[in-house]
Parts: sequence; C-alpha cells; structure tokens
Amino acid sequence: MTVTVLGISGSPHRHGNTETLLDSFLDGARSAGAVVEKVVLKDLDYSACRGCNACHKDGECIVKDDAIPLFERMMAADCVVVASPIYSMGITAQLKGFIDRGQFLWARRFVTKTLEFSPEHLARHKGIFISTAGQNRDNVFDGAYPSLTALFHDAGFEYYGNIVANNMDEHKGIKNHPTALADAFRKGQTIVAEIEKLKTQQGI
Amino acid sequence: MTIKVLAFAGSPRRHGNSEMLLDWVLASMAEDPEVSVEKAALTEANINICRGCNACEKLNKCIQRDGMDIYHDKIIDADIILLSAPIYCMGIAAPAKALIDRMQVFRSRKYVLRLPVIPPERKGKRLGAFLASAGQDWPHVFDAAIPSVKCFYHVIDIRDADISYLMINHVDEKGAIGTHPTAQADAVQLGKTMIAEIRKRLAA
Repeated sequence: MTVTVLGISGSPHRHGNTETLLDSFLDGARSAGAVVEKVVLKDLDYSACRGCNACHKDGECIVKDDAIPLFERMMAADCVVVASPIYSMGITAQLKGFIDRGQFLWARRFVTKTLEFSPEHLARHKGIFISTAGQNRDNVFDGAYPSLTALFHDAGFEYYGNIVANNMDEHKGIKNHPTALADAFRKGQTIVAEIEKLKTQQGI
Repeated sequence: MTIKVLAFAGSPRRHGNSEMLLDWVLASMAEDPEVSVEKAALTEANINICRGCNACEKLNKCIQRDGMDIYHDKIIDADIILLSAPIYCMGIAAPAKALIDRMQVFRSRKYVLRLPVIPPERKGKRLGAFLASAGQDWPHVFDAAIPSVKCFYHVIDIRDADISYLMINHVDEKGAIGTHPTAQADAVQLGKTMIAEIRKRLAA
C-alpha cells in the first residue's frame, strides 16, 4: 500500500528555515515508506488569479500556466504538505498566488456542483501546513490558517494540522531550534502510517 | 497646504468591487481643492514579490529594480495611504500581499538598522485606510487579512489607531457593490472624515 506525499514549498528563499522544516517532514515520510515529491513554487511559472469568474461557468480556469497542473498533482496525492514562511503576518505572496488560483475547485464544489468528496476520501487525504516565523508572537501564524483551510477543503484534504516554529530570529535559524526538525521528521513518519492504515481499512 | 493621497488598487480585476470602493473614497477626498490624489493599480505597477533575501537588512534598500523604485518615495511622502483589495480564499488577494511583503525594506530600516522611516516631525500625521470586498457573506471573512494590513501600515509609520477600515462582504460579481445599501455612502463619508482629520493633524 503506497502512500504518496507531495510537498509544496512556498518560500521565495531556497533552503531557508521553512523549506528545511519541510524537508525534515518529507524525510520522515520517506523513511516510513512513502513516495515523496517536492515542488518549489519559485521554479514554476504562474500568474495571479484574475478574478474573472470564468470558472464559475464551467469549473475550468482559463489561464493556462503551471498552476492548474500542480492542483492536479496535488489532488492525486494522499498527503499534501504546504510550506510557507510568515511574511508580514501572513503566508508569502507566492503561496497566496497559488492558493488563489484554486478558485476553479471552489467553483466546481459550490457553483457547478461537479466536485464532491466523500467522508472516506476526506479522511484518508491529509493536508498539513508547515511554517516558520522570525517573530516570537504566538499569534503570528493565525492569519495563515484560513487560506490553508480553503485550499485543503477545496482540493479534498482534511486539514490535519500544522507544524510551525516561531522565534527564528532569536534561535538564529531552524537548525538551532531544540525540537522542530525532529518533531517534523516524526510527524512525517506518523502521518504515513496513519494514511496507510486508513487506506487498508477502506480497501483502497 | 497640499494633502497628498496615495492609493493602491490591489485587485487583479480592474474596476471591480474593491476598486469601486476605493474610487468612491478618492472622489470624495478629491472634492477638496487642497487634496492631490495618485492612484496606482497593482496590475500595472510592476511590483515583484519579496525574495526573502534579507539584503535590505544590510543595504537599507531592496536589491530588486522594479515599480517599487517609484513607490518607495511616494509611500514616504504621502499623508494618506489607501489600500484596496478583494478577499480571495479567505485572505488578501495575492497582488496586494505582494505589495505588503515588499514593505520589508521599511521594516529593516525601522527595526534592524534603527533608522527613521519618516521624519520625526511627521509622526502621527499620516492616516491609512483598508477598503475590501468579499464574495462570502461570513462576517469573519476579513479577519485573516487584517494582521497583514496592520503590518503594512505599521512599518510605514501609520499607527493602528490611524487605520480606518471599510470592508463589504457578500459582493462577488463585478459591480455588485453598486447596489449595496450603504457602501457608497460610507465610502464618501470616510473620504470626508479622513481629510478633516488629516487637516487637523497637519495643522497641529
């Protein structure tokens, strides 16, 4: 029973704190036997959602670039792990740009009503948000969660949880954080085992 | 006395609901002969995303050469800065978030290099307003955008208490705000109130 995990890195800064934390999660998932892929949004070419609402007619996005194929890849995975640092109390413009393009999925669910996910589907598809922030405020991640909720729900994933680490400025980077990397690795292992169990139970 | 108003229209859709809201405020402000208004549509402003390189922490400027070269000085010079944007996927639309993230150069100036963003005598003499629209009818649809909006204004020395908000939910199709019972009147009033307030502040 193979579990597939797709990591999406939404940081414009390669191999920084957030991507390192994502890598640790993906390493954990790989060690538990998952087939793991990572996509770096910085390497893709996609534009912002134009707000044209054309997708409200037929559920299709009229903008042809790298965004829609990535949504398709995402929806083919059992687990999607989306990572973004916090910039200005929110997710990066790069990740927000991708999430906004998911409007066609929302349109399929609520306007054309051509997309529906069963409770079983939602249970075995897990979405996780990974983030780091320089600031030490506890609420620094709060502005990020609602957009991740929108993304996961529209693409058919249960919002399983968050792996977040704040106060990066003081720790001088994720590598000096006492627990974050090991925790992310363990969570990568745990989630693969959990999805494997669910798939077996559901006979998938 | 000239009152300088700088407005950013942050929607990828031109002349839609959030921009209509902005235009009402601007027209109301511009009725005052001492007001000079400049409006920038982010669809045409050529503002790239922040790369997270942190070079501004050392250089006191951004390494990217783009539209921000023009707006950097205008942001410092303005007495009133307006930002309009729609809510997409429960957060501020990506082009507006891109502008907000590029304020990092001011944050570095203020908190890393400990240099003034505006001359000390202009402190408390700047006002901001966030004008937003959302398709959803949930009252909490704007919540996740607000921390980033506060961050935007905070680093350019506009205090939380000096930010006004006019946020209209349940308007989705282009122009829907035109039939909203209170939006236009509230926008016109906001324009008047802000000009009266800034005139008082500038005279003090």
